[in-house]
Amino acid sequence: MADLGRAALVVSLGLVVYALVAGSAAAVTNRRRLAVSARNALFCAFGSTAIASAVLALALVRHDFSFVYVAAHTNRTLSTAYALSAFWGGQEGSLLLWLLVLTGFGALAVALNRTLLRDLTVWVVPVLGGIGTFFAFVLVAVASPFATQTATVDGAGLTPSLQNPYMVAHPPMLYLGYVGLAIPFAFAAGAMLSGRTDERWIVATRRWTLVAWMFLGFGQLLGAHWAYVEVGWGGYYAWDPVENAALMPWLAATAFLHSVMIQERKGMLKVWNMVLVALAFELSIFGTFLTRSGVVNSIHSFSKSPIGAWFLGFVVISSLFSLGLIMWRLPLLKARTKLESPLSREAAFLYNNLLLVALCLTVLWGVLFPIVTQLVKGETRTIGRPYYDFFLRSFGLPLLLLMGIGPLIAWRRTSVRALARTLAWPVAVTLASGVVLVALGAGSSRPGLIAYTFSAFVLATIVLELVRGTRATGSVARLVSRNRRRYGGYVVHAAVVLLAIGVAGSSAYGSSTERRLTPGESVSVAGYTLTLRDVERKRVPNAVETRAVLDVDGRWAGTLSSGDNHYVNPPEPSREIGLRTNWLRAEDLYVIADSANPKTKVAFVRVLVKPLVNLIWVAGIVFVLGSAIALWPDAREQRRLATRLAPARA
Amino acid sequence: MIALVLAVLIAIAAVVLVAWPFLREPVTADDRLAAVGPEEAERLALVEERDRVLAALKELEFDHRTGKIGDDDYGSQIGPLRRDAASALRRLDRYGSGMTAFEIPDTPAEPVPPPDEGTPPMPAPVPEPYPPPDEADIPSPAPQE
Repeated sequence: MADLGRAALVVSLGLVVYALVAGSAAAVTNRRRLAVSARNALFCAFGSTAIASAVLALALVRHDFSFVYVAAHTNRTLSTAYALSAFWGGQEGSLLLWLLVLTGFGALAVALNRTLLRDLTVWVVPVLGGIGTFFAFVLVAVASPFATQTATVDGAGLTPSLQNPYMVAHPPMLYLGYVGLAIPFAFAAGAMLSGRTDERWIVATRRWTLVAWMFLGFGQLLGAHWAYVEVGWGGYYAWDPVENAALMPWLAATAFLHSVMIQERKGMLKVWNMVLVALAFELSIFGTFLTRSGVVNSIHSFSKSPIGAWFLGFVVISSLFSLGLIMWRLPLLKARTKLESPLSREAAFLYNNLLLVALCLTVLWGVLFPIVTQLVKGETRTIGRPYYDFFLRSFGLPLLLLMGIGPLIAWRRTSVRALARTLAWPVAVTLASGVVLVALGAGSSRPGLIAYTFSAFVLATIVLELVRGTRATGSVARLVSRNRRRYGGYVVHAAVVLLAIGVAGSSAYGSSTERRLTPGESVSVAGYTLTLRDVERKRVPNAVETRAVLDVDGRWAGTLSSGDNHYVNPPEPSREIGLRTNWLRAEDLYVIADSANPKTKVAFVRVLVKPLVNLIWVAGIVFVLGSAIALWPDAREQRRLATRLAPARA
Repeated sequence: MIALVLAVLIAIAAVVLVAWPFLREPVTADDRLAAVGPEEAERLALVEERDRVLAALKELEFDHRTGKIGDDDYGSQIGPLRRDAASALRRLDRYGSGMTAFEIPDTPAEPVPPPDEGTPPMPAPVPEPYPPPDEADIPSPAPQE
């Protein structure tokens, strides 16, 4: 079977190379049959990659240890779901998933636009072929998932921390996001190559960008929840380079989603949009380089592998390609209009973009700093949490404020008097919230108080927008259905507010304490008292479990256990936390027991109380809901676009 | 062996599909891609401009009705926007998709009070049939061929 997988990958490589070369030739020489042939090659590449993927999936499910990859990432004790999740649990499988999604998304995007945007897609095919060529080459020549060996009795198993339901969903979500960003990039490049830099590439890729952005955002929240419940350090985001690798393209894509509206409305920021779409794509490739190369220390990094250099080379080449294209087409990308007033919706979008990109580049510098210091000084210096927290506050809080002000400002220009009148209610709500929060003791953290009050402001503006819009149109359903993008966006804004409240609550107002406990001894924190009852150890299939059992009293009464598991295969430890969620207060009681010893009955216990942390996970659901509203197909819009573009196919 | 046969079959299927345009049409009188000529490019640019101006008109109406802009701002912006819209529609009319079946007044209408100042909100008299890109269908353009 490995031969079949290898052969299918070689066929995929041949097809994407053909899509690149023949597609370019067809576009340059204007040859119709060659262009269709190149497009077919892209479609077939998806088919052959799907066959290769099916071979690997079958080998994983059947525990075929003659595959080196299967033996390295699974064992016989793994359930079918976790055995399948090993597809993206290792490097070679992840790359195969990347190629599968790329060819699948690419084929679908080209197929959907092949008639209306023929002059564009003829250039999109070779761009997608070029990206596919890189991944197919790496899979065939550098990191094949179909290397074979003499079958072993059992495999090495999947890293214990990856044996978690979140890990079944989190990596594919991120890949769908990363790879999805290749589609707007390919259409943007196609638009510049063809010299057709009108808005059609934006219209064609609007939903692709939203889908990629949604998967990337939701995937990160799933990853954060996995870190929270599985890694067991008490947090959900550690500013780890690999976490940042997913955050950076998401920030760039967020900026793009906002700035693209200015191009649609005003014909401005064409160069900026090209830069943003290229930046988002390059950062998604750079993220893979970070994850796979081992150049940075990360809990997520795989061991050093030869593909890092290939990825770096691809990032450099594709960045130069994008930059060259933008420079070449600068005359076509000139704006036709200017910003009329610094007090306008488009100006607010611009400020939002500057803050988002500043945050993105700040995070990028934090990720690059250890590499730069290693190159310049020969010693690795890392940037810690205070750096990131400082810039998150510096850029994030103004962004939160803008999220509230922006929707209340009219397009083109608005007067200070009209703005003051519109802002009156939200500001009143904000001030009232601030007073109540201070009375409740939220003044103990200034950033927390600012985040809460700004959040109240944004929520008030969303409510105001809905109320006024409903009064103007007659009903909420009519209002939302007439502009799904805008009101879907407001729901996403509400998700960001929930996220901000959750992050502020759990970080600025959380409590924690740490103590060495013996049976009968207690520790108290934030209204909870935990008493060590016993330290137990038991053997379960494939692991030895050690648990400190604690009786809890106070705001909640019950029992929590925490400790660690030592797995037999693979021989790795895994920390197991004790967690009690109070959904009414959106609060977690989080217990970490280290060095629990069943002989001496001693355990080092760390107890954390995290207020409002669960709003972060609720935000994920609201985020998907808002994205779905914005994505929901609008028949009237489709008809309008078809009519608008129809003569182009003549 | 079976795997090898399957692999060969995949390769053959791929080659056939890729070569299909040439197998279906071994000889063709016209193998050129339908290019977008300067006239079509200009039409698309005008359509974009028309949609942009009409969207701006719609936004202006909505912003006025929801109280985001005052009567003064509304009055100063509506006139130029209507003139731009009329101009875009007239220029597009050359291509048969200008939709000039209605007249766009050059002068702003009597301003209406914003919704939070007593009177219930009333839409300003912008011609209803214009097709705001987010809300209405644009009539089919005349056939190009």
